[in-house]
Amino acid sequence: MLSIRNLHAGYGKVEVLHGISIEVPKSKVVTLIGSNGAGKTTTMRAVSGMIAPASGDIRLGGRPVATLPPHRIARAGMAHSPEGRRVFATLSVTDNLRLGAFPRLTFGRARGDVEGDMERVFGLFPRLRERRNQLAGTLSGGEQQMLAMGRALMLCPDVLLLDEPSMGLAPRLVEEVFRIIAQLKSEGITMLLVEQFAAAALNVADYGYVLENGRISASGNAASLKNDPAVQAAYLGRGH
Amino acid sequence: MDIFLQLAVSGIALGMIYAVIAFGYQLTFATSGTLNFGQGEALMLGALVGLSLAGNVLGGPYLNYWLMIPIVMVFGALQGMVVEWIGVRPGIKTRSEFGWIMSTIALAIIFKNTAENIWGKDDLPFPSPLPEAPFQILGANVQPMQVAVVVGALLMMLAVELFNRKSIYGKAVVATSNDRDAAGLVGINTGRVISFSYALSSMTAACAGVLVAPLTLTGPTMGSALGLKAFAVAIIGGLTSGLGAIIGGLILGVAETFTGFYVSTGYKEVPGLLLLLLVLTLKPAGLFGKTAIKKV
Repeated sequence: MLSIRNLHAGYGKVEVLHGISIEVPKSKVVTLIGSNGAGKTTTMRAVSGMIAPASGDIRLGGRPVATLPPHRIARAGMAHSPEGRRVFATLSVTDNLRLGAFPRLTFGRARGDVEGDMERVFGLFPRLRERRNQLAGTLSGGEQQMLAMGRALMLCPDVLLLDEPSMGLAPRLVEEVFRIIAQLKSEGITMLLVEQFAAAALNVADYGYVLENGRISASGNAASLKNDPAVQAAYLGRGH
Repeated sequence: MDIFLQLAVSGIALGMIYAVIAFGYQLTFATSGTLNFGQGEALMLGALVGLSLAGNVLGGPYLNYWLMIPIVMVFGALQGMVVEWIGVRPGIKTRSEFGWIMSTIALAIIFKNTAENIWGKDDLPFPSPLPEAPFQILGANVQPMQVAVVVGALLMMLAVELFNRKSIYGKAVVATSNDRDAAGLVGINTGRVISFSYALSSMTAACAGVLVAPLTLTGPTMGSALGLKAFAVAIIGGLTSGLGAIIGGLILGVAETFTGFYVSTGYKEVPGLLLLLLVLTLKPAGLFGKTAIKKV
């Protein structure tokens, strides 16, 4: 569904990704793990068009999207729940969710049942329903994270990019986030997941890629990566 | 007492014009972090185009005043888009931080010179669409056109506010002001939103131009002072608050007319600029602005 080939990207003259390739098959969850600064978020940003890739090929459902601006990539079916949540602080929870469906409401993408999907998001995140008229800026960190995920889901995406959905959350909420990712997976949503909790990410994912200094150093079945001694030593460690 | 009220009425009408232009500054600042320093010239061009359509310069009148307004609004919108396209977009693309300042000022000068060549350097009278005979409110003489200015200005700001709150496109504008990158991610064409905000901002200025012109004179230089003072209003009221623009505009407008009468017309600009300095010292975000905290 999402296919990244030999992607080079960075900021200005500084190249962060030195030619990475990732395959995300339809209805599968792929996780990208690696230490801080390895280029995980840069990968996500290049895929969704937030930064323009220097070179390489990115295809969404076979369609090349590497040179498109972010709004066109979103219309093509890629939803990105960005690092740091980035909710629309001065708008209500409902308005944030409705804007997640912006292309569907403005003839950029098949409309479908927007109100029904909003109910579905409220079903996944009951806290959001309780706070639906509240301004997003006044939500707690965990609630904002749920809103960022819900907003991305409102696109009815072909591929969902989740960048560090557990960052800064209390342990109980981290579990909740992973429970929801597992539920989305069972609904057949294709996902690319970047996570610092590598063990939990490999538990929920089908495939994993290890990113090291802008290059893929290992990849394969999530289960086999989890048992790979090198991966265990570097990213899973004791107590993860 | 009568003269006091009289001055207040003039001050309010003048202040509402400042408020509309200041509101225009806010519109583009919200979406793009840039300002059109040619706001005053957008107002001037609107007034002169309106005068050419509804007045007797350039062989007119071709239209009556009220039918002319929609055409002036379209003209203003197009003019704003040109400013964004030539003066602002290249800078945003290259992430140049201050390029837009010089380029919008440069465009303003070009617009002013062009206007001088088309309409001449002299101020022209603008025929009033409403009876010029004033009526009395509590002993103050109020011209019908002054009421039209206040009502028109409020209506314009209300219309923009309603659009932003109620329509999905308006919410996309607010989302772009909140977080441009995140707005792009949900599928909003933020470049087009910025272009639209420039169109809207110049459109309100052009509309303000034809509203104020019958009260003042119309000419290529009418915009510069208005644009500058409205900028002061936007800073006094805060660049992020519509209410701030109205209050700031009224404060400046009333302060000017009172100083002009009780002190000297030579000093009428002083209290507003003193207030500007005071606000910048004590509350740099403006009276109603939220203090911007830059997280590093």
